[in-house]
Amino acid sequence: MAYVMSSLLYLQTMIGDIMNQLKPPENGYEARTRKNVIQLFRWTVAWGATCALVAFGPKFLWNKAVVFTLLAIGLNLCVGIRTILINKKYLDDLDDLQRKVQLNSFAITVGVAIIAAVPYSVMDSYHIIPFHADVAHLVALIGLTYAASNLYGTRRYR
Amino acid sequence: MKNRLKVLRAERDWTQAQLADAVDVSRQTINAIETGKFDPSLPLAFRFARLFGLRIEEIFHDPTLDKDGNGLGTKIRKDTSV
Repeated sequence: MAYVMSSLLYLQTMIGDIMNQLKPPENGYEARTRKNVIQLFRWTVAWGATCALVAFGPKFLWNKAVVFTLLAIGLNLCVGIRTILINKKYLDDLDDLQRKVQLNSFAITVGVAIIAAVPYSVMDSYHIIPFHADVAHLVALIGLTYAASNLYGTRRYR
Repeated sequence: MKNRLKVLRAERDWTQAQLADAVDVSRQTINAIETGKFDPSLPLAFRFARLFGLRIEEIFHDPTLDKDGNGLGTKIRKDTSV
């Protein structure tokens, strides 16, 4: 009986070891990146929410009270700084190839933003465009360019 | 840069995902290195060398070197040795 029990225990330990070897480590690259992406997503959403608070709060929530507006701006800056640090950690934890893809995406995004911003501003100054140049347009362009270049980079090395 | 990563992996019957886990990179990175689309950094090359128990130059080699392993340095020495 004892022999059967010890054999079963040995078999269970052996199967457990094999399963652990096949299972990706919980602190491995994929798991770490997934955790960083989720954390970055949460903080980006939080930053977006504080942006909305700063933009609409003075008019709809606290009747333009300066103290509350300054508090909302302070909160927005704090969450923004935390988001930057989380993004930096995400980039630091990436492997060589993913970091190269990100670097290429940032290079294209910064280039497009600078090259597009100057003529856009000039066109606004000389009333060539029928609307006022808004920084939100530039932010949207940056977001779209980054998404497109990141997608291109990821597909290129697939 | 050419490499023997795919052969070394096949000899050990490992999948790209298993090799990726062993050297702490993504599977996509292993695929890009094997297909020659991407050259690894020196720290990553050392991790491959440690994992396979080989020297870096036994895994990666520069196709511009000649059969004796001589490269640009030899050419410069020859050109200047007048």
